[in-house]
Amino acid sequence: MRAKHALLGAAAALALAPAAFAERGSDGQVNIIYWQGPSTMNPYLSGGIKELEAASLSLEPLARYDPDGNMVPFLAETVPTLENGGVSEDLKSVTWKIKPGLLWSDGTPVTSADVRFTWQYCTAEGGGCSQSEKYNDVADVETPDELTAIVRFSVPKPYPYGPFVGNQAPILQAAQFADCLGPKAPGCTSANFMPVGTGPFIVTDFRPNDVIALKANEHYRDPEKPAFSTVNFKGGGDAMAAGRSVLETGEYDFAWNLQLAPEVLDQMAAAGKGEVEVAFGTLVERIMVNFTDPDPKWGERRATADHPHPFLTDKAVRQALSMAIDRDLLTEIGYGQAGRTTCNVLAAPEIYASEANEGCLVQDIEGAKALLDQAGWVPGPDGVRQKDGMRLSMLFQSSTNAVRQDFQALIKQWWSEIGVESELRNVDASVFFGGDPGSPDTFQKFYADVEMYANSFDGTDPEAYMANWECKQAPRPETQWQGNNMPRYCNAAYDALVAEMAKTGKMDERIALAKKMNDILMQDYVILPLVHRGRVSARATSLGGFVMNAWDSELWNAADWYRVK
Amino acid sequence: MFTYTIRRLLIAIPTLLVISLIIFLVVTLAPSDPTANLPLSIPSEVRAQMREALGLNEPILVRYLLWLRQFFLYEPLHMLDQAFGLSLAGEDMQRILSWQTRSPVADLIVQRLPQTLWVVGTSYVVGVLIALPIGIASAYRQYSWFDQIGTFVSMVGFSVPTFFTGVLLIVIFSVHLGWFPSIYDTTLRVTDLSTFWLQIKQMIMPVAVLALYNAAQISRFMRASMLDNLNQDYVRTARAKGMTERVVVLLHVLRNSMIPVVTVIALGVPTVFGGAIITEQVFKVNGIGQLLIIAIQGGDVPTVQTLTFIFAVLIVLFNLIADVLYGLLDPRIRYD
Amino acid sequence: MSETAMSDRSPRPLVEIRDLRMHFPIHAGVLRRRVGAVRAVDGVSFDIHEGETLGLVGESGCGKSTCGRAILRLYDITSGSIRIEGDEIGTLGQDALRPRRPRMQMVFQDPQASLNPRMTVARIIGEPLDEHTTLSRAEKRDRIYELMDAVGLNRNFANRYPHQFSGGQRQRIGIARALALNPKFIVCDEPIAALDVSIQAQVVNLLEDLQDRFGLTYLFISHDLSMVRHIADRVAVMYLGRVVELAPRDSLYGAPLHPYTQALLSAVPEPDPDLEASRRHIILKGDVPSPANPPEGCNFCTRCPQAMPICHRIDPEMREPRPGHFAACHLHDPDHIPTAGSTAANDQPQQGE
Ligand SMILES: Nc1ncnc2c1ncn2[C@@H]1O[C@H](COP(=O)(O)OP(=O)(O)OP(=O)(O)O)[C@@H](O)[C@H]1O
Ligand code: SF4
Ligand SMILES: [Mg+2]
Repeated sequence: MRAKHALLGAAAALALAPAAFAERGSDGQVNIIYWQGPSTMNPYLSGGIKELEAASLSLEPLARYDPDGNMVPFLAETVPTLENGGVSEDLKSVTWKIKPGLLWSDGTPVTSADVRFTWQYCTAEGGGCSQSEKYNDVADVETPDELTAIVRFSVPKPYPYGPFVGNQAPILQAAQFADCLGPKAPGCTSANFMPVGTGPFIVTDFRPNDVIALKANEHYRDPEKPAFSTVNFKGGGDAMAAGRSVLETGEYDFAWNLQLAPEVLDQMAAAGKGEVEVAFGTLVERIMVNFTDPDPKWGERRATADHPHPFLTDKAVRQALSMAIDRDLLTEIGYGQAGRTTCNVLAAPEIYASEANEGCLVQDIEGAKALLDQAGWVPGPDGVRQKDGMRLSMLFQSSTNAVRQDFQALIKQWWSEIGVESELRNVDASVFFGGDPGSPDTFQKFYADVEMYANSFDGTDPEAYMANWECKQAPRPETQWQGNNMPRYCNAAYDALVAEMAKTGKMDERIALAKKMNDILMQDYVILPLVHRGRVSARATSLGGFVMNAWDSELWNAADWYRVK
Repeated sequence: MFTYTIRRLLIAIPTLLVISLIIFLVVTLAPSDPTANLPLSIPSEVRAQMREALGLNEPILVRYLLWLRQFFLYEPLHMLDQAFGLSLAGEDMQRILSWQTRSPVADLIVQRLPQTLWVVGTSYVVGVLIALPIGIASAYRQYSWFDQIGTFVSMVGFSVPTFFTGVLLIVIFSVHLGWFPSIYDTTLRVTDLSTFWLQIKQMIMPVAVLALYNAAQISRFMRASMLDNLNQDYVRTARAKGMTERVVVLLHVLRNSMIPVVTVIALGVPTVFGGAIITEQVFKVNGIGQLLIIAIQGGDVPTVQTLTFIFAVLIVLFNLIADVLYGLLDPRIRYD
Repeated sequence: MSETAMSDRSPRPLVEIRDLRMHFPIHAGVLRRRVGAVRAVDGVSFDIHEGETLGLVGESGCGKSTCGRAILRLYDITSGSIRIEGDEIGTLGQDALRPRRPRMQMVFQDPQASLNPRMTVARIIGEPLDEHTTLSRAEKRDRIYELMDAVGLNRNFANRYPHQFSGGQRQRIGIARALALNPKFIVCDEPIAALDVSIQAQVVNLLEDLQDRFGLTYLFISHDLSMVRHIADRVAVMYLGRVVELAPRDSLYGAPLHPYTQALLSAVPEPDPDLEASRRHIILKGDVPSPANPPEGCNFCTRCPQAMPICHRIDPEMREPRPGHFAACHLHDPDHIPTAGSTAANDQPQQGE
């Protein structure tokens, strides 16, 4: 997989090459369609992904993530790290240096005051900033000189790249938004719709949820870019129509987020007008194993640590369940090129992906049977294995969704082949994921033996994600059934690793810790990962320079796009 | 008639106030959350702050009264200001802002009205223009082949959903033949013949889909009304008078048959302003209908509230217009 | 039946109807195909003489209106011959008919429905003048006023709409309209049925008056036997699309020949209480058969109190048992002489008060 990425990088580099000879604005218009139209260009007022992506054409952070999940400096000269001294030893401050000579699209210089202002803007009282989480624990942003901004945290931040990094936290121009702090934020319609930016394009006409017209930013830092003079950013419709407009009719150059059945996409792509672009983020479809007994006889305390599960606490059973699954088949049926098999719950970024668990890629029914035999689970008269009168019979729940129900049926079949009986159940997604503590059907209550859904984490840093399986994160009545540790996994060694990561700043050490935690979860069969799911978009063959990115805006490198002649 | 109209208008005011309150309650109390569509990675405390910034923590009555004041006082003042360059509206007279876009709802509506009127309005006119002759001919030659085909086409037009006909047209004319664009360009300005031609090309399919649907309904009305009148004695009287068939059908029958049809047509006009949610989605026309559906999906209460209230006003207004038209067309009806 | 079969006077009749049929198609099924026909008028023949009033009576639905309309060619008739002043109009197309329309007019049963609600009285009366004359505007207006005077309508009402009049007034408008083009022949289709009793007499008197003044000929359709007795010179009785008896008024009312006429007349209340008390009602059993599916043989055989076996097989022909008095009944057929003659009708009547 590493080789594949290297190739992709090389291809991207090749693709970029011709653009370097182009002249700004020489390639006419590029047409982009988002079937959900952006409602504002200010990412701080709407947390929606569509708004973040649209805004990324104009607004830029100090650093973005590249397709491999590595940080690359955008407005900053370099990415500060412990190693280069940009991050202080106590992990409480980060020093960013802005590239000299940067101009806003109105011709004024970009300064550290803008960086500081952005922090103030998002944390102002009454503004309802949707990205305020990114600025958590920021005590101050100091501006010792025009081009230096020092972010001071109130607590040590081993991973200090929340503020001003990635498409959720771009820099706003202080001059434009000065009067838009706090409750006044929504009133600044023209600023919110037509922000002054540093990106390759700036808005000339913004029609919420419909169309954004943009033109090349005359003050963009690379005088030869962007190659396109205008952008027509259309919103509305549905994924099918958006895909059609790129792949079949060729009216558009790029269509975002095509969640369509694999065969539908393949059929559209067969028209030859464009290509399907896939990038893999952190989304993994997985089966969670319940370590506690959901039996209704336990009343209030069912599915809590008070009552361990009668047979899923046996590692042999969990392992056999995993071995019986044909992950290749699931991926092909459910997601086609938008999915790939994985044996890790932490499947990306690449640097974090463990290679210690690849064994799960091959289905092994016979091995699973042998394992259960060994563990004393022998087939009963009805073919269902049992031991001491305990039958391997389970309730398997998931959210209502065509692909998930297909998966459930297939898995049920494989499990029955190894002598494990399962009853299938599906719950409406709004209830299942709704988190209502009064409902018995939520994924947190987990009143079943196994459950299947997908989850991901934001950004590239897995610290918070891996902390999900800390013992104390188990949902239970005391926490109003909130918490992310669905399996109710409780392992002191694991918890110690979580604590260690929270105070480790060195990148390679963090990577090692995250992999170790992933391996514990995998080798203990707490979570059975199934498919690593990607983002799918479509690009016209004539759009050059495009590089799909799952870690930042898909339009992250629009400055490098050009028309293939 | 005049006093009647005035009286009806006066009655309409309390009616509309009640309607506005009901709409407000329904829209507000419906379990929708403007932050529900945000990515799961945005934590719940941040969501709570966002809701607070939207004013969701104010008591319902306060929000309703604010909306009333905004709708009936602030918005008109702002509009006057914009139209005549005045400055009647004070600094603190906050306009009705959409929760999704944080921009004035009125601006959104003004922005979207052109495409809706172009597409949905044209389709209504086209629909009526084809419905009337079809209805007349079907009734005049009842049970003829023409009538049978007309009935069949109406049934199809009425019962086949527009998302089906719309997508079918796109697949045929955009994907396979490549004649028309599958995506409507709302920024297109008609300045010369070639842009006019582009406008026609992008309107043809959505207009055809909606016109078929409208025509199906209205032609049935026209036919039924014509049939009612064709068998009346006064038609025989006209024939007995020795009037030509043209005069009999067009002057006597048609003019009388038009009375209910005209009112039905008038009652349908508000739906033009309401846009066509599905067709607008299918062809990406992004008019008022799409604005409404997006607002509903996004839990954007001010937009939904304002739009539905404007629809209510239009419906009440066109009901009145229909009644007045009825009175003008039918001398038997007297309102005073 | 000869050409002059049903005329008893020597001059050529104004209207000659021969074997007139008017069948309405019945459509059914998904495709609304034609599956049969309503034989609303099924072989009717009679003459009307200039200046006379022929009454046409019969139960509701027997085809009186259809007959009247068919004679005026408001329908495209199924078959038969209609001659007016010797001029065959049965087969003419609507275009060829139009110039002949002024000669024949109709007054309708429902004065409200027969007047276009969106036209003023002046337009209703004046419209045929536009179509058929070349009068100037002023002349037309004068003619309209003249006609309104003739039917007793106030001239000031010329610009009102029909709904602004009373029922009686509306019928006067209808009559004025019919008179506008100086017709010779008017079909009055139950012109008084929709009116109050108090106004009925006025309208009938008006009609009689106009007949005298303008020398009109009427076909007076009604189910009110006493009114017909008052106005008609001769009377035709219809049953299920056919004329079953046709006779001068006194002969018909005095000595009806057809069992159906006898039943109808027995139902008319006598003004004289003594006579009323001694009168015997003949109550007809059963419903009128559907005109879409008339019975075999005599149309009346399903309800006739005197029906004979032959009646179910053979359709009786129209005969003239008395001079000028025609009837279609086997009782009056010399070939099928039953036990008694014309008085047989009273032999086995259904008794009733
Ligand atoms: N346009 C038509 N289509 C089909 N059937 C018709 C039509 N007009 C009349 N009929 C049928 O023809 C028959 C005779 O109708 P008609 O109106 O002539 O009766 P009528 O004797 O005038 O009755 P009434 O005294 O109630 O006016 C009825 O059975 C009626 O249903
Ligand atoms: S022919 Fe027979 S059925 Fe018909 S009226 Fe005469 S007696 Fe009655
Ligand atoms: Mg009648």
